[in-house]
Amino acid sequence: MELGDGRRDVVDPQVRAYVSSLVTALGGSGADEDGRYVLGDDALACLRDLKKWLKLYDEKANRLDVARCLAESNLVGGDLLQILAAWPENATDDRLKSKIALACLELLVPLTWPLEKNPNQMTVNHHRHIPFLEIAQLGYKCSIINFDGARILHTAVRCALPSMAQPLGDRSTRDEGIIKLVLYFLRNIAMIAPPSNVKYEGDEAEISRSATIDAFDYQDIFHLLLTVSSTMGEDFNTQDVVVMEVLFHLIKGVDIEKLFMDDEKAGNAKIDELVKLRNKEAAMLRSYQSNAPTRHNRFGTMVWLQRENAKMTTISGQGALTDSARGLAKMDSTKKYKPPRRALKGDNGPLDFDTPAPLTMQANKHLRAFVEDFLDAGFNPLFNHIRKAIDREAERILEYHPRQFFYLVAWFLEAERMRRKSKKPQKGKKPAVPEDIDSFALIASVLNQEMFITLNRAMNTSFENKSWQDLSAAMKCFTQILLTVQEMSESPLEDDQDIAENILNRIFYEEETHDRVANITRTYKDQGFGYLDSCTELAHNYLRILEQYSKQNVDLQVRSRRRVRRKKKAAKKAGEDDGNDDIDDSDGEDEARAEKTTSERKFDFKRFSARFLSQGCIDTFVTFTGYYNDLKPSQLKRSHRFFYRVAFKQEMSVMLFRVDIIALLYKMIKGPEGLDPSSSHFKEWDELVRQLLKKCTRKMQERPELVVEMLFSKTNGTAHYLEYGYEKQTVTTK
Amino acid sequence: NTNGAGLGIDEEVEVTRRPRAPRVKLDENRLLSAAGIPKLRKKAKDHLKFKGKGHEYSDAARLLAFYQLWLDDLFPKARFLDALAMVEKAGHKKRMQAMRMEWINEGRPRSSVHEDS
Repeated sequence: MELGDGRRDVVDPQVRAYVSSLVTALGGSGADEDGRYVLGDDALACLRDLKKWLKLYDEKANRLDVARCLAESNLVGGDLLQILAAWPENATDDRLKSKIALACLELLVPLTWPLEKNPNQMTVNHHRHIPFLEIAQLGYKCSIINFDGARILHTAVRCALPSMAQPLGDRSTRDEGIIKLVLYFLRNIAMIAPPSNVKYEGDEAEISRSATIDAFDYQDIFHLLLTVSSTMGEDFNTQDVVVMEVLFHLIKGVDIEKLFMDDEKAGNAKIDELVKLRNKEAAMLRSYQSNAPTRHNRFGTMVWLQRENAKMTTISGQGALTDSARGLAKMDSTKKYKPPRRALKGDNGPLDFDTPAPLTMQANKHLRAFVEDFLDAGFNPLFNHIRKAIDREAERILEYHPRQFFYLVAWFLEAERMRRKSKKPQKGKKPAVPEDIDSFALIASVLNQEMFITLNRAMNTSFENKSWQDLSAAMKCFTQILLTVQEMSESPLEDDQDIAENILNRIFYEEETHDRVANITRTYKDQGFGYLDSCTELAHNYLRILEQYSKQNVDLQVRSRRRVRRKKKAAKKAGEDDGNDDIDDSDGEDEARAEKTTSERKFDFKRFSARFLSQGCIDTFVTFTGYYNDLKPSQLKRSHRFFYRVAFKQEMSVMLFRVDIIALLYKMIKGPEGLDPSSSHFKEWDELVRQLLKKCTRKMQERPELVVEMLFSKTNGTAHYLEYGYEKQTVTTK
Repeated sequence: NTNGAGLGIDEEVEVTRRPRAPRVKLDENRLLSAAGIPKLRKKAKDHLKFKGKGHEYSDAARLLAFYQLWLDDLFPKARFLDALAMVEKAGHKKRMQAMRMEWINEGRPRSSVHEDS
């Protein structure tokens, strides 16, 4: 069809005519009914027809024409939501009305379904309609969660209540389908967000994460999620992954620390943050000002830099007059050439979990309440069920589900630790009674051996397949498990201690995992900052926890042996007579044994930590440190400890003596654009860098050949020679 | 003349393009040339002096300036950090590695060299 201004309509006019006549026939509001919405005579049939159009035209022919027509005719806001809103709570039994509501839902789900952009399968139509539809979906979400007249999401759930009330065995396929439909509807609503390349024209606050969470709370969706996840495996079975998706899209990127601050503290934290940011800005301006010219910009200073062989370099600007370092920086900055560079990889799609999602105070409160309830009731059943599904490669598990699973487990484990921490101050008042202390049973389902197997396998395959986002999620999960286990080993409950010790014991002797962690750290290239953050965090915590474990002193060993013996005796007394009772060794023997194991462990740890001395690992941490001005104190601490470990604990500082590393460290302290001198971590970095530089200059005088080697990556062999002055023996007996 | 026969449109115009001047690269050839690492070593022996304790940062600044000026002479077009990355990359080449080994061995005490051979 030729439009008035000569453009062609993008949709077949006949299709448009059919669809819009169906939308018109659906119903409408008029002045005679005081603006109420009145259903058309054959509304149910119209809804079914529209569904058929979506299915038989759009889906079959792989076009998006009908979806576009429906978006243009405002079907969702103008009709579907009005119809749903007109289904009163007390009319749930009205068969016709519930049928119509269900039919509306059947339209809403495909309309809000995430639009996939798979470049191999996209046709002209996709390219034409998807940008439009993405915006339209934002509008759908906005009108659904902000609808004035009724609680739309709640109404949608009501459609499925009769089916959900049936016991698992008695449900028909239709019932299962309805439950799934509702859950997918929630998933879609939680998932819709402005794509990274599009600016949403309406009020962003109306479709933000906070708005979604508030709506979920107000419309009792959280209750539904809790019910389904806590009875997973009993009343529900195949719905696990959809629930997981909803959770994922709700919590991805939410800062857990902020989530568990109480209101007053959060308010203070906000002010503190403002003060901190102002200070940071002031420090930045100060460093600019000290380098800024003191005269007007046409003052025209020109400086000669005398080079060898009577060569001169000219530098303009006054900066160079006072300070040769600044002169050199200026000389460098005038160069135009830039070597080709590859862009960092990363994920900006809906599965991205590295972009932070700030929440309003209100949403924070709601989400926190939900998270606590979920940890108490839903965590174990849901995640255990999904883990099993992943293990047996169930059909419903899609490619991206493991990623979501690991991310969620990591997130909730951290949330659990944070919750314990925020509870602690109250405990200080009264002496803890053993029954009062929560055990770690609430999260036990992810600390068992099966979970470790699943996790290890996932890390292995995603590393081999180079699917970095999957690996990143799995690494986060592993880190959080490690931290939880460590906290468990400090728990006052003996059972918790036992379990933790068992797990640590296993991790400590698993060479395969050592290799994997070291390899991942070594091979970072351009996987993006989120990945870099996860892999340095894992390496840091892994090293730290194993070091602590290896340092466990003789005393602790003896105690744990005694504990085991006591337990076995108790078991014996209770009547359980197990055959192998080789537990009757004396205390003295205990000590000797313990001493032996501790020294063995120390040696093992030394061997293990040497794997992180390769240039690749160091480069990874150097790249990470390169972001120093954007890193949080805890992240900076991570790289500080790593460099400290390399240089002083393992005495291979030579590995750090490379000109670009020295330049980075120098810049961090002395600027321009260095660390803020008034910040808390500046001092320790200053100390570290100073010690390193001292070592470096001394070493260069000691071994002149280092002048050349400063330019290059070193193999462990050369580094060892440069450090100690002799070749490394094949077996170190130290 | 409707098809433009006399205008020379149909005649093929030969396009000859002069080969572009080869791009200057900071590779192992350049590094091993007289202006490269040999010069660096010589200069370091003569000029690179440190003050030592208490002057860590000024020493480091001197060290960095030393490398920066050397790289500016060797490969003026790239910035300091970019040039460093190129040098590092060239260091993985076989020839470079052999030379690096040789330079290190020069610094070794005599006795151990004898033991080796």
